[in-house]
Amino acid sequence: MAPEQSVKSYVAVLIALVVLTFATVAFSFLPLPGAWHVASGMLVGALKASLVVLFFMHAIRSPRITWCVIAVSIFFIVILFSLTLADITTRSLLPYMPGH
Amino acid sequence: MSLKDALFTPEEQERLFDHTFLQREQLEEQYASLEQQHEAAAFGMWVFLATEVMFFGTLFISVYVYRAKSPEAVEAASVHLNWMIGGINTLVLLVSSLLMALAVHYAGHGDRRRVVRLLVGTALLGVLFLCLKGVEYYIDYVENLIPGWKFNTQEWMAPKSAGGEGLSEEQVGFVQIFLVLYWTMTGFHALHVTIGIVVVLIMAVLTARGHYSAKYYTPIDVTGLYWHFVDLVWIFLLPTLYLLGTHHLTGG
Repeated sequence: MAPEQSVKSYVAVLIALVVLTFATVAFSFLPLPGAWHVASGMLVGALKASLVVLFFMHAIRSPRITWCVIAVSIFFIVILFSLTLADITTRSLLPYMPGH
Repeated sequence: MSLKDALFTPEEQERLFDHTFLQREQLEEQYASLEQQHEAAAFGMWVFLATEVMFFGTLFISVYVYRAKSPEAVEAASVHLNWMIGGINTLVLLVSSLLMALAVHYAGHGDRRRVVRLLVGTALLGVLFLCLKGVEYYIDYVENLIPGWKFNTQEWMAPKSAGGEGLSEEQVGFVQIFLVLYWTMTGFHALHVTIGIVVVLIMAVLTARGHYSAKYYTPIDVTGLYWHFVDLVWIFLLPTLYLLGTHHLTGG
């Protein structure tokens, strides 16, 4: 396997993850419209997930084939989310036109 | 006489168990190198995790679809969940992931003692997670958050001045759908944690028995990938279930 990470770097990743967890919970106490809570939750979640995948799952020093699997996973999850939400959130924009 | 001895002759045991299970330090004939053998095993786990991404992905998108359909109902239901236990459990899983990552790290150094300790620590934190989850489920039970079994529509329809949420009957339907998704997602996640604990403990026992070395510790590494993925799912479960609405410092 490729050169490894130091113990210190693993601890640093954990500290970053804990700080982000406190940040995301604290954000839910701000009186903002619901969409902001969803956006912040997903953004912080994506950041934390990147840290876990890159360092804990050591994708950063994994072969290219691993990166292919990660890319394909992200590709399909983006399709699942974007197409579903594009449908659901825009249905009410069109008038109801039976027979057309 | 053990079950194994009753079922297989010594020659068969040699062929079936000792070679396949214990001594894979040697290269299997289909691989060119130990490194390639390790990469193939890790690749298999990554592909399995990709299928898991799609499995949990459909549940996550369901929550956001119902949130788009009825934001008020889903946000109100989300605020009713216990964000504090959810948050503490996030920290528990994050620390367990650190221990798991360190176990893999020291496995690469052949430091068996540390690996065993770290794996047992990982499993114990997994158990702590399940215990806290159990406490949370009990609180949900007390607070009537179980649709179809312990749920009170009137509580949600009562006006806010009377301590309710002031929701319409249709909106309470969405509250129930959200809660069903909450039970389904946390339930499946807890199942994954349970499986993870068992596998991590098996790895600890095999490490203690000396089955792995700095040269060959692929099963520990692959178990680590699975454990981190379970942590990763929870990272997204926290905002998706617990943090959809605005919390208030006093109550709720």
